[in-house]
Amino acid sequence: MTGVRQRLDELVAEFADLDGREKLELLVDFANGLPALSPDYEARKSQEDRRVHECQTPVFLWTESDSGAARLVAEVAPEAPTVKGFVAVLAEAINGRPIVEVAAISDDVLDRMGLAAVLGILRTRGLRAIVARVKRGFAERAAAAG
Amino acid sequence: MSVPSQPDVLVSTEWVAAHLSDPQVRIVESDEDRALYTQGHVPGAVEIDWAVDLQCPIVRDYIDRAAFERLCAERGIANDTTVVFYGDKNNWWACYAFWVFKLYGHADCRIMDGGRKRWELDGRAWSGERVSYPRTTYTAHEQDGSIRALRDEVLNHCRAGKQLLDVRSPEEYRGERMHMPDYPNEGAVRGGHVPGAVNVPWPLNCREDGTFKPVKELEKMYLRELKMKRRSPTIAYCRIGERSSLTWFVLKYLLGFGSVKNYDGSWLEWGNAVRVPIAKGAEPGSIVAAGGPAPTVLA
Repeated sequence: MTGVRQRLDELVAEFADLDGREKLELLVDFANGLPALSPDYEARKSQEDRRVHECQTPVFLWTESDSGAARLVAEVAPEAPTVKGFVAVLAEAINGRPIVEVAAISDDVLDRMGLAAVLGILRTRGLRAIVARVKRGFAERAAAAG
Repeated sequence: MSVPSQPDVLVSTEWVAAHLSDPQVRIVESDEDRALYTQGHVPGAVEIDWAVDLQCPIVRDYIDRAAFERLCAERGIANDTTVVFYGDKNNWWACYAFWVFKLYGHADCRIMDGGRKRWELDGRAWSGERVSYPRTTYTAHEQDGSIRALRDEVLNHCRAGKQLLDVRSPEEYRGERMHMPDYPNEGAVRGGHVPGAVNVPWPLNCREDGTFKPVKELEKMYLRELKMKRRSPTIAYCRIGERSSLTWFVLKYLLGFGSVKNYDGSWLEWGNAVRVPIAKGAEPGSIVAAGGPAPTVLA
């Protein structure tokens, strides 16, 4: 079974080979594949502080553990398909893997995907904050589980 | 009495829909999120991105004149093309691109009122097609300094007590919103505003559907309530000059202000600059009250 790092490397390679326009098209495909929140999470959205305040557009993240298996649940506003697509890429790499492996996501994932050239510096910083938030969320889960 | 504004500069989605195949018209989308254009754009529209296309990758500045000429040529824009800008976020990036086109002297620029939101609300079709046009030859003018303010000019303007608008949110203006957990430092090392600046958050220019408020409402706010004068030189700024291009557009084109400049360096420059005075809190304050060494060092 492939680990988070290897899965992410495969996804990164998929992006790295594409030109700018194709990268954005692939992000849109991923964005379209991110499932809508279940009614349970929809209800929790208003009760818990899950908003990623570093992002200008509304992004809500839950870093869940199902008996030690990671599950990233997210809602990203439809007006932000780039962010939504990127979160979907992370979810694909992470979901179902042991939460301790999430720490292996390297901080330069955006650079390796070649997104900085397509999005510019300010936008990729917002995405970097999401990577940081996801890693921290799962690290807290792992610490709590001992 | 109203000073004649330039109503033609605002076009409706209906006007755009009727000019989709007009070779004299080029429609340009500029967004906060580039993937929106990829997802679906007005049929035939090209994309111009504020960060990737309009900013110089080396110096913190706009692309130079030659690069602007290449950009227009590649997008099939000629000197006599009517360029219609639209986008997300109430057209703030569209106004930014419009402003850069005016900076290089493009004659006929318009804004599609309401941008993506209004196009969607009107039930008009989106296209995911890739768009390209035959290359043109384009000759740009030198930058028009009458619409762009640089830091030292803002400092002089501020010392002279002239009209200055901060269009950011009240929290940014008061200097409260500065640092958040995990926040990548894309902000400034100080929070507050340029002394003397009045806070008029940019959303006050727009309606719920993304269109601009009617001129009469805008006049009421700027001229009667804020007591601004159309004939007084005015500078607007925000964080990096995007939201203030929208306010610049409103003042210059919808309200007919004679001299309005966008300070694109904005708070990301001012709040980081050494020995430049700032004001904190809800009051505009003044450069004298801001204290510190005399700012003649920059004169």
